Amino acid sequence: MPPAKAFAAWSNVEIKRRWFTQPEGWDRRDPLTLDFRVGGLETTAGGPPGGFRSRYKACYMEIQPNARIVYTYEMHLDDRKISVSLATVEFAASKTGTTLTVTEHGAFLDGYDDNGSREEGTNFLLDAFGKVLTAA
Amino acid sequence: MTAPVKHATFAIERSYPVPPEKVFAAFSDPKIKQRWFADNPGWTTSAYSLDFRAGGREHSSRTAPDGKNTYANDTLYQDIVPNQRIIFAYTMEANGKRISASLGTVELEAAGKGTKFIFTEQAAFFEGGDGPVMRKTGWTWLFERLNSELTGAPVPKPIAH
Repeated sequence: MPPAKAFAAWSNVEIKRRWFTQPEGWDRRDPLTLDFRVGGLETTAGGPPGGFRSRYKACYMEIQPNARIVYTYEMHLDDRKISVSLATVEFAASKTGTTLTVTEHGAFLDGYDDNGSREEGTNFLLDAFGKVLTAA
Repeated sequence: MTAPVKHATFAIERSYPVPPEKVFAAFSDPKIKQRWFADNPGWTTSAYSLDFRAGGREHSSRTAPDGKNTYANDTLYQDIVPNQRIIFAYTMEANGKRISASLGTVELEAAGKGTKFIFTEQAAFFEGGDGPVMRKTGWTWLFERLNSELTGAPVPKPIAH
């Protein structure tokens, strides 16, 4: 699909809610809120039943339609802030559609050991993103 | 047209002969921060504001000594541990065009009567921007300028552009 369609799945809250979500069975009481403009905020939260609660809060820093999105986000695990990250998403037209590149710079706090789980979580989301787009 | 983003990370490590509390105050007090961060020789500050708390923002708009080029900085504070750590995300604009988005981490640690200071920047540079070498040069100058603020040493000579 062309970059414009891939970009819409990041900028439109209805579409983004379909893929930027918790795994099946998790608490989904706090659905995604998205104010997609420079300076705008985005939030969601959730966790496994009876388990931890993770909270996501982002702020958009740069938006170039159909080309680039940069945002900064915090992750909280229960009452603890575990990381602050800068994420860059680039959309480039390719012969077969769109090449999506996500780059994350992270500051992990107070001895929190990520042990690869952020990359795993991001890949989980991008897989869901791909399924939503190809189903649409 | 947009060009691929250039990613870079750099760190600046130095020491100050004053305790962490005093270094931290130079970041948290709007009057002190504006003095060393914005109001520098030859530059004109047209706007400055600082709301120093997690979730708070900082903004500065400045005109370069040439009287033509304007720069704006917009910062969002994300994590503050008094006298120890400050994490912020910021963008830079040159002449109304955004040229970068960065994550900055300041870490302070008591070392004898002074402070060990570490700044780490993780940045995404956009087309037409300054890039990591100039950015590191700029921060290095500012942290020397901060030393003047903390110790009364002469203000360093401006960077030649």
